[in-house]
Amino acid sequence: MSIMGVLDIGSKALAAQKTAIEVTGENISNVHTPGYSRQTVVLETAPGSVDSRYPIGSGVNVAAVQRSHDTFLQTQIQAETSSNGKQTVVQNALAEVEPLFNETASTGIGASLQDYFTAWQDLSVNPQGTTERQAVLSKAQTVIDDFHRVSQSLKDQTQQANQSLTGLTGDISAKLKQVAGLNDQIRVLETGGGSASQLRDSRDQLLQGISQKVGISYREQSDGTMTVTLGSNSWGPTLVQGASASALTVNTTGSASASIILKKTPADPGTDVTSLITADSKSGELGGTLQVRDQVLPGFSGKLDELAYNVATQVNTLHSTGYGLTGGTGVNFFTPPAPVTPPATYASGYSGLIGLNITSTNDIAAATAAGATGDNRNALALAGLKNKSITVAGVQTTLPGLYNSLVGEVGVAVQNSQQGVTQSTAMLKQLDNLRESIVGVSLDEELAKLLSFQKAYEGAAKLITTGQAMIDTVLGMVQ
Amino acid sequence: MRVTDKSIASNSLSSMQLNLERLVKLSQQASTGLKINAPGDDPSGAQKVLQLQGALQDNDQFARNIVTGNAWLGGADNAMSAMGDAVVRAHEIAMEMANGTYNATDRATAANEVKQLTDQMVQLGNTQVGGKYIFGGFKNDSAPFDATGVFVGTDDAVNIATGSNSAVAINFSGGKLLKGTGGGVDILSELQNLSTALSTNNLTGIKATLSTLDTAQSQITTARADVGSRMYRIENISTNMDSANVDLKKTLSGIQSIDPLKVYSDLANQQTAYQAALTATAKISQLSLLNYLK
Repeated sequence: MSIMGVLDIGSKALAAQKTAIEVTGENISNVHTPGYSRQTVVLETAPGSVDSRYPIGSGVNVAAVQRSHDTFLQTQIQAETSSNGKQTVVQNALAEVEPLFNETASTGIGASLQDYFTAWQDLSVNPQGTTERQAVLSKAQTVIDDFHRVSQSLKDQTQQANQSLTGLTGDISAKLKQVAGLNDQIRVLETGGGSASQLRDSRDQLLQGISQKVGISYREQSDGTMTVTLGSNSWGPTLVQGASASALTVNTTGSASASIILKKTPADPGTDVTSLITADSKSGELGGTLQVRDQVLPGFSGKLDELAYNVATQVNTLHSTGYGLTGGTGVNFFTPPAPVTPPATYASGYSGLIGLNITSTNDIAAATAAGATGDNRNALALAGLKNKSITVAGVQTTLPGLYNSLVGEVGVAVQNSQQGVTQSTAMLKQLDNLRESIVGVSLDEELAKLLSFQKAYEGAAKLITTGQAMIDTVLGMVQ
Repeated sequence: MRVTDKSIASNSLSSMQLNLERLVKLSQQASTGLKINAPGDDPSGAQKVLQLQGALQDNDQFARNIVTGNAWLGGADNAMSAMGDAVVRAHEIAMEMANGTYNATDRATAANEVKQLTDQMVQLGNTQVGGKYIFGGFKNDSAPFDATGVFVGTDDAVNIATGSNSAVAINFSGGKLLKGTGGGVDILSELQNLSTALSTNNLTGIKATLSTLDTAQSQITTARADVGSRMYRIENISTNMDSANVDLKKTLSGIQSIDPLKVYSDLANQQTAYQAALTATAKISQLSLLNYLK
């Protein structure tokens, strides 16, 4: 090998170590960048030569700059993100519902029902008393107000959930478009032989962002583009293919329960994918919002209607047979009267419609027969309604029991969703740690590498000065 | 496992948050004294709390009803005691005046006294408790006996609830007590008869009232015994309810209240744990190879 060969090896080494230091610098500067995947320089020996009769390498080459990645882990993280997104939305909604039924700390429907029946007890002891009669009316009004308040709150929340769908689908569609754009850039860069590490990092970040909002599946094609489909468990309709992205929109015509529409192009009339999203257990915030709107809140509203209906019907049935102070009879206490005969039918939203039918205290029917103002039998029977056993939907219970079981149901739902969120958050954290251990940057590690690359760079520089000295020596011989 | 700077940072952050969350939960329990602060804390416990609170409130109401019941029954007892005395006095007069040594003037004076006794009986029949005529049945707004001793009330029993499935009548029918409704002695008419017999100096008539007045005495005593037994029953219910309330409150506090010792010591432990997490985070973030590269 010639002396020039020494200089050549030296300069190659300088270049390679400089690249390595650059990559280390990139890693160090991105130590806390979200979604950044650590890069490593892969060095290889340059092809050797046998010029000097012995096989000697011709220095070092940079073979590649590799991006750390674990596709399997990434898929798991994405699925858990969807599940977490869904459960968090449900938990947030329940956190707003829970105070409406929190009788342990404050008063609500349960307490006002109790007060209402207590007022009837007081009336049974003094059936002619105007104060007692007024108390029955005002306690009944409190019951009604409480029913209206809770019913309206649930309705407002349903509306909120419905409105947030528009924002969510808009966000998802925008992100899908970005993924399609990145697909195109990555394909162009990589077919040209370039590295698209940063773009791939951004795309992974976007996909995880979409997973938070809605459950998706994806797989990479041979040209580096990512095909994204709807649904976390199965291959649903395509959302992104190559450089083209579909959009999710909300069908606003039926505003009460708007459905989610998938449009391949702006002109596409679209397909309804609502049921596909709701059937998915890991369907992200979009699925969570749909669950809140279509299952969680209507479930509680339905129970509330059932309670309001039973209170009104039980009271009306007894009250209309009794007699008021001035002899009036056949008067309903609550309005609107619902059909008494089974099967019980009442309008959905009954708890928001229930009202007081009686305006005059004289019409409160404390008596079972006309003519005797001291007759307290009907008041006694109405007060007894509180603990009277009634059958609702095949279950034997009482009116307060019906409400208590609703409170219990809310509690169980809250507890379940809290546990679900805690578990999926812990799982996500665990997966994130795993991912970090593979793709994350360790400063200490990078600093150690920096040191060794720096030493190698110094060594290469020394090689060049040595070569230069050798040339000088040879030239000196000529003089 | 390979540890990176980002995972150190996120782990420290999440462990600090977890510790803080537990700390807040425990301090909420310590400050409210309750372990169930919302239905989600313990759904089945919350349901039981509501049931027990309902039962306690019911008992409060029943206790209020019993106070009224006691007043009514006590009023009836007092009135009946006075009625008994009046009938005994009338019987004495009848016995005395049936003796042939008394003359018409004596009997006329006696007739006057019996007349007074009759009026007194009517007045007692119109006894009021809290503005209600307790012997009037359901017509208790107006006097059940008019000036001539005619009963215009009803014989209905006024019941009050003393438990979720029990009721006690707190009145006694004036008709049954003084007018013999349902097969008893018409005491008021009998007294009027005596008074008439005395003023007309009718010895046979006076003698005829003796046995009926005897029966009248026992009629009032029986009624009084009935009222007395109901007072006793109410008293019993009230005592039972008091001890039931103690049990209910004990159960309620067992479900709802914290064990202060446990919560306070947990709180202290949690504070230490939080401090440890903070210290550990501060320590680990100081460590870096950078400190040793000169």
